[in-house]
Amino acid sequence: MSKTMKTNKMTLETEGETHVIVTRRFAASPEMVYRAHTEPKLIQQWLLGPEGWVMPVCINEARPGGIFRYEWTKADGSQGFHITGEILEMEPGHRIVHVERMHMPDALPDTRIETRFDAAGEGTLMTMRMTLPDAQTRAMMLATGMERGMEASYARLEGLI
Amino acid sequence: MTQPAISQHLKVLEEAGLISQRVEGTKRPRRLETAGIEAMDEWLVRLRKSLEKSYARLDEVLAAMGTPKKEKGR
Repeated sequence: MSKTMKTNKMTLETEGETHVIVTRRFAASPEMVYRAHTEPKLIQQWLLGPEGWVMPVCINEARPGGIFRYEWTKADGSQGFHITGEILEMEPGHRIVHVERMHMPDALPDTRIETRFDAAGEGTLMTMRMTLPDAQTRAMMLATGMERGMEASYARLEGLI
Repeated sequence: MTQPAISQHLKVLEEAGLISQRVEGTKRPRRLETAGIEAMDEWLVRLRKSLEKSYARLDEVLAAMGTPKKEKGR
C-alpha cells in the first residue's frame, strides 16, 4: 500500500562489535542530498534529532582537511552539547568521510563516519557507515553518556512508547 | 579448560562490565551484568529515533530545495 513510506524506511544494523550501518532513501538527487549534508544553512534545518532541539551554531568548512562544529541546545535553553569534527575525504555529490566526537562537555572518543550518496531509481540511496571506538572505550563512553543524559533520555524514551 | 584459563576468561568479562563478582566466605559468586548490554541497546534505540526524526525533516528540506529541471523525456 504505502509504497513511499516503505521506500523511505531507514535501516540501522550493527556489524561486528564496532560498526553501525544506516541506510535511507531520499526522493532527491545525490547532489542535493550531499548539499544538505555540507551546507550549514541546510544542515541547520534538519540535523536536529528529537523534537525540541535547535542548532544555533553550524560551521562546516566542507573541504578535505576542513573542520566542522555543530552546537545544539534545547529550545528552552535547559541543555546543550556540541560535536566537533574533521573532514577527511570529500567526493562532491557522492561521498564524505569524517571523524567526529561529542562534547558533553568533555570530549568523548572519536567516531569515524563514511557517508555515501548513490543514485537509486529517481532518488538517492544514502549509506552511512559508522566506526565506533573499541568495545572497552565505548562502554566507558556509554556509561558517561548514560549518567549525564539519563533523565533526558528516559524522558525521551517514555515519549516514544 | 584449566582453572587459570577460566579465571582469565572471567577477568576479561568482568573488565568489560559484563559480569560482577561478590565475595562470600571462600566463594566468589558471579552474576551477569546486563547494564552494559542495555546501555548499547539504549544508545542504538536513541540513535535510530534521532536519525528517523532528522531524516523526516531532511525529506522536507529536499522537497523545498525543489527538483532540478528534468530534461529527460518520460
